[in-house]
This record gives sequence, structure tokens and C-alpha cells, in this order.
Amino acid sequence: MNVLTYSRRNLFRRQGRTVLTLIAIAFTGLIFNALRTCDYAWKAGVEEAAKDRLATRHKVSFTMQLPKRYIDDMRDPSKVPGVKAATWANWFGAKDPRKRAPFFAGFAVDHNTWFDVMDEMKVEPAALEEWKRTNNGAILGDVLAKTLEVKVGDDLTIESDIYPGEWKFKVVGIYTPLRKTADRNSLVFRWDYLNNDPRATFSKETIGWVMSRIDDPRKSAEISRKIDQMFDERDDQTITMSERAFQLSFLGGASAILKALNLVSVGILIIMLLVLANTIAMGARERTHEYGVLRAIGFPPGSIFGFIVGEAVMLALVGGLLGAGVTYLFINVMIGPMLEENMGAFFPYFRTPLPVLLASLAGTLVIGAAAGMIPAILASQRKVTDSLRRVD
Amino acid sequence: MVPVRYNVRSLVVRKITTIAAAGGIALVVAVFAAALMFSAGVQRVTVTGGRPDTVIVLRKGSDAELSSGISNEYKKLGDRPEVAQVGGAGAIGEIVIVVTADLTDGSGGISNVMVRGTTPEGMTFRPELKIVSGRAPKPGTNEVIVGKAISGRFQGIGLGQRFDLKRNRPLEVVGEFTAGGSSYESEVWGDLDVIRKYLGRESVVSSVRVRLTDPSKFEAYRAAVEGDKDFSVKALRERDYYQRLSEGLSFITMAGVVLAILFSIAAMLGAAITMNSAVANRSKEIGTLRALGFSRLSILGSFVLESIFLALAGGAVGLVLVMLLSLVDVRMMNWSTFSDIVLSFEATPRVIILSLLFSTLMGLFGGLVPAIRASRVSPVEAMRE
Repeated sequence: MNVLTYSRRNLFRRQGRTVLTLIAIAFTGLIFNALRTCDYAWKAGVEEAAKDRLATRHKVSFTMQLPKRYIDDMRDPSKVPGVKAATWANWFGAKDPRKRAPFFAGFAVDHNTWFDVMDEMKVEPAALEEWKRTNNGAILGDVLAKTLEVKVGDDLTIESDIYPGEWKFKVVGIYTPLRKTADRNSLVFRWDYLNNDPRATFSKETIGWVMSRIDDPRKSAEISRKIDQMFDERDDQTITMSERAFQLSFLGGASAILKALNLVSVGILIIMLLVLANTIAMGARERTHEYGVLRAIGFPPGSIFGFIVGEAVMLALVGGLLGAGVTYLFINVMIGPMLEENMGAFFPYFRTPLPVLLASLAGTLVIGAAAGMIPAILASQRKVTDSLRRVD
Repeated sequence: MVPVRYNVRSLVVRKITTIAAAGGIALVVAVFAAALMFSAGVQRVTVTGGRPDTVIVLRKGSDAELSSGISNEYKKLGDRPEVAQVGGAGAIGEIVIVVTADLTDGSGGISNVMVRGTTPEGMTFRPELKIVSGRAPKPGTNEVIVGKAISGRFQGIGLGQRFDLKRNRPLEVVGEFTAGGSSYESEVWGDLDVIRKYLGRESVVSSVRVRLTDPSKFEAYRAAVEGDKDFSVKALRERDYYQRLSEGLSFITMAGVVLAILFSIAAMLGAAITMNSAVANRSKEIGTLRALGFSRLSILGSFVLESIFLALAGGAVGLVLVMLLSLVDVRMMNWSTFSDIVLSFEATPRVIILSLLFSTLMGLFGGLVPAIRASRVSPVEAMRE
């Protein structure tokens, strides 16, 4: 009789308890994986953000605009070497009057250069040509186009939270992502269309921010400093940062939430440990007499230790595998695609990757071993005579 | 009825399994209570800022002061019979901007602070406003006061410091104020005209507030100003406005509660395992109790009660632990205003009652099936074992 057989058979002596424990482990594993996936999805966004892109905005406030002529300075290689291309955008803050999408990112952009710099979005060349001819042309992300139920050639009316009234656009193109973390929920339209509208006189000839592409990501700090120095003596000073830092400045507080999630995910592991330890301890206690008999017929204490820890690890393994399976079904097949469509701004890509699954499985095994440890030590060190005397 | 002492002693005697099951429940209750405490903190900060008799007027289509703009004719919005004249002014026009500032927590990060330009009437308009250190700003100057909650958390925004609104146009912090715990305490307040001049926005205000002679006059006032052809504005009760602004944060509460409910399933399984084995190990005892004349129902009640005790013990431990959270403040961005507010976890009686109720439910559901099993134990067979 070896450890494996004995442990396996023991698992089925109290079937009800084993099943409950397995459900608990699989379930806690699922929650843990979901929490880790939130963290992973968030960090993936950081990793995937274009490292060769910088955002330059007003130093004092993101609500303040920069003079349009700043773009010429940015594009002048004699002033800032290292900037390959620069484009700009103004925040429009779009709302759908028909409420199919409550709020989405709407930008007025330079239609000649926007998609050259934001190259993770793919647009057909024909659409770009059409954009040049269409004053009120707009290009939407594929997910947003689906939500708003529009296709190329359609008219689209939206509202802004800054500019009054209704704004009418013609859809000239739909962009698709070339990177899994690209934002698919934005609408861009021509900056000159906004600039020439009387409702936008208060922001005439100003731009919200400049997005630039640099030739060497390693020099991003140095180039950022150069850009800010260039405007330091002007009335409107700038602050330049990586694209991701720029995005995060609108999602501040998210890091606090992630910290809380990490703390909570430790909590769920402790619950898993407690449930498992409880089951193992109860089993070992019920079998005290039996372990006494095993010792009496010659099994060394190490074997008793092995039986109990083996049982715990085996239980953890089966539960962990179940949890991984449930996670795959639940997150990668059901919830993930849904989240990506509805909360694309936070989680453009939400799937549990294999490394997270494997790591949580390994963690479950460690927890199994830890859960079995105390009962195993107690049972293996108990004197044979004490064990045999005990009758429950 | 089986004596309650029997259950308490049974729990104490099986120390390890009791601690394991109660520990799981303690963790779940901690998460649950933390979410509720956060929600209570958000409620206090946002809702206390709004008064039932105060109306906020914004540009039609704007959801927040930050994106709103109303022309300088705004004073006319206060010339109506429904409006009470506070300190000689009817309409309080203010400008609101968000300023980027470096954090002083050593993280090297930046965040956003709300700056409000107001008038002396705007200060008397809010009687809850109190200068707690330094002094009040002189009207018509670049002096500002900073809310107690954020004072010192950002570079340049603390008593005696200064920060630039534009190049060579600094604002000087001369005082700190409190405002009844409302979100005003996460703002900087200065002079309306000076701030507008610095920004080059002399001709607009962001929002207008009026105090009604009576809260019931709201509908009449709203109909009047929303129908006024000179403006394109909307009027909201101040309380509703702040309630809406807090919705972005309430999703955190929601997420926390959902998480706690998911966790509770695992903890209930833990309780069920413990109670199941309690029933299995004590079948002889149960048989004896039945033979002594205790009914099936009293056995059922006894085990359910034991499970509830177990859960309540865990819940109490979890609650005590999580109360420590009320000692910390969290600074986070309110996504509706894009500026930081400082929140605290509030341990209200509601939090305590709901948490204990939640523990009781976990005990009830975790213990029900084992208790039913216990009640079905046949006295004869159990005693023969």
C-alpha cells in the first residue's frame, strides 16, 4: 500500500464532505483567478501602451487648452530632435441622444495625421480619402459602431458635454484594432469641423493635447523634458508624459482599487486554506484510531505524515483543476468578451492567461500542503498507545 | 428546546474546526463591511454637500460644474420670487476648474484638485464653512483657502504655500477650512473675479446656486429658468446633483458587496462541512436527546442555532478587524468630476447591523442541511451504534 492509494481511498470515505470541499476549492479558485485577471488585464494595458508615444498637455489643468501653433513647434526637428510625428486632439465628450451608449470618448482630431500616429487602429485607405472630402466625416471604433448600430455612409447625431446642441456627422469609416488592447469605443471627427463651428468659439484655434511619436523609446524622458522646456517661457506651459501616464491621469484611483483587489485576493486564499485545513483536520481526527493501528503494524511516523499531506494535496489538485476549468469557461468564454465590449476603457483585453491559471494551480497545491501540515504533524507524532486508546 | 449552553460548549470543545469555519466567515464579513463602510463614507462626503432648499443651475447638456458654462447675465437667475436673498445676493455664480498638482506622498505621481472661484456671498451662502487655521482670503486678491481634507497632500497646496494657476500668476494659500465633512473639503476656494481673470474667462461662470425660500418651490423655479429664452440651462436640486456625482464611486461599493457575496458561498461551504461533521460525530448524542423526549424540531433548531452562533462569532471578529479601517483616509478620483476627493471608511450602525445579519444568514444557510440531517437521526439506531 503506498501513499497515493491510501490517500485516494481516504478521499472517498466521506463523500459528502469531499464534494463540498472540492466545490469550495474550485469556487475560491475561480474568484482568485478572476481577481488576478483584473490585475493582469490592467497591467497588460500598461505593457501594451505604445512606448514610443508621448502626450503633451497644459501644465496646469487638462481642462485648459493649448494654442494651436504649438503643434508647429512640436513638429520642428530643429527645436525637438527625436519627434518623428505629432498630431493633436480636442476632447469632445460624446453622448448618444438615443442612449444606446451613455457616454464614450469623442475627439476632434487632425484628420491628416491622427491615424499615422495612432497606428494600432486600422482604417481602410479609401475611408481616409473619403474623410478628406467630408467635412463632417467621423470614424468610429468597431465596437462603438456596433453599439450605435451605424455603418459607413450613415448619418449620426451626437451630443457633447462641453459644446451645446446636437452635432451631425457622417460615418466615413470604421477602424479595427491591430493590438488586442486597443480602444475600440472611440469616435474621432475632423478638428476643423469643430473649430469652424460658432458653438466652439471659446476654444477657437486651440488644441487639447498633442500626441507625438518618438524615434527612440529610451529617450522618452529626455524628449519630454525638451518639449516642456521649449514652452516654459510661454504663457501656457506644458507637461509631457508617456501615453499610459496620460490615460491613467483620467483613471486615477484605479491603482487604489487594484491594491484593494490584491488584498482581497489574499483573503480568498486564506478562506481556501481554512476550508481545506478544516476538512483534513476532521478526517485525521476521525481516523486517529486507525493511524494507531497502522503505526502498531509497523508503518513509521513519516508514512502517517505522508498519508495526510498526500490526501490534502490530492484534494487541492482536483479542486484546483476544477477551478481552472471553471475559470476558463466562465471568464474566457462568458464574462471576458462581455467586459471587453462594455468596459473597454478599463479592460480592453480581459482573459485569464495560461500563466495566471498555472500560478493559481501551483498556489492551490501549496495551500493543500500547508493545510495538511498541522494535522499531519499532530497525527504522526501521537504515541501509538494514545492513538489506540482513543475511541470516538 | 435544547439548552443553548449545549451548542456553545459543543463549539468550544471542537476548537480547531470552529476556528477554521469562523475564520472564513470573519474574512467574508470583513470584505462585506469594508464595502459598506466605504459606501457610508461616500454618502457622507457627497450628500452632506447638498441642501434640500438649494438649487444648482448648469448649462443644458452638462452633467457637472466642470463642463458647464453660463453667461455673465447669470445674476438674473436670482431675481425671482422663489429665491431667498442670502447676504444680499440671489444667485451665487462660481467658476470651477481642475488643477494638476504633484502628490506629496513620495510616489512622484500627479493628480487633480478642484479649484472654485467664488464671492464673499458664496461663502456666507454656506454657513457650514469654517476657517480652522490661518484666515479668510481677502476678496479681490489672489488669496485662497484650502479644504482640510486635501491640505498638505499636494505640493504648493498647503497653508502658507503658493501654486501657479498660470505662469507668474500664483494663488496664495492663507487658510484652511472645514465644511461639515462635505466634498468642499477636498477643494481650494478663491476669488471669482481673480481666478476668472487669470484664466481669461471673465465672461462666464461654471454654475449658479440659489437658495429657495422653501424647498417646495423647486418645481416652480425650475420651470421658470428652464423656460427662460435668455438662457439654455437646467436646474437641479443640489442634493440630487451630488447624489449623481457619487454614482461613479458607488460601483466600487457594488463590486465589494458582490465580491463578499461570492466569498460567502465558500465560507458557507466551510460552515456546512463543520456542521456536517458535528452532526456525524454526535449522532449518539442526538439519539440520546431524542430518546429523552426532545422533538425533531428542537434538534433542528438546536443545530441551526449552533451554526448561527458559529457564524456570528466569525462575523464579530471580522467586524472588529475591519473597524480599524475607519482610522485611514483614502484619496481617490471621483470620475464624475475628474478631481480627487478624500474619503474615509465610516462605521455606522447600519454597517454593523447589516454585517451581523449577513453573518446570521451565512450561518443559517450553511447549517440548514446538516441540521435537517440531525433532525432525522433515529434515536434507536443512533444509540445502538
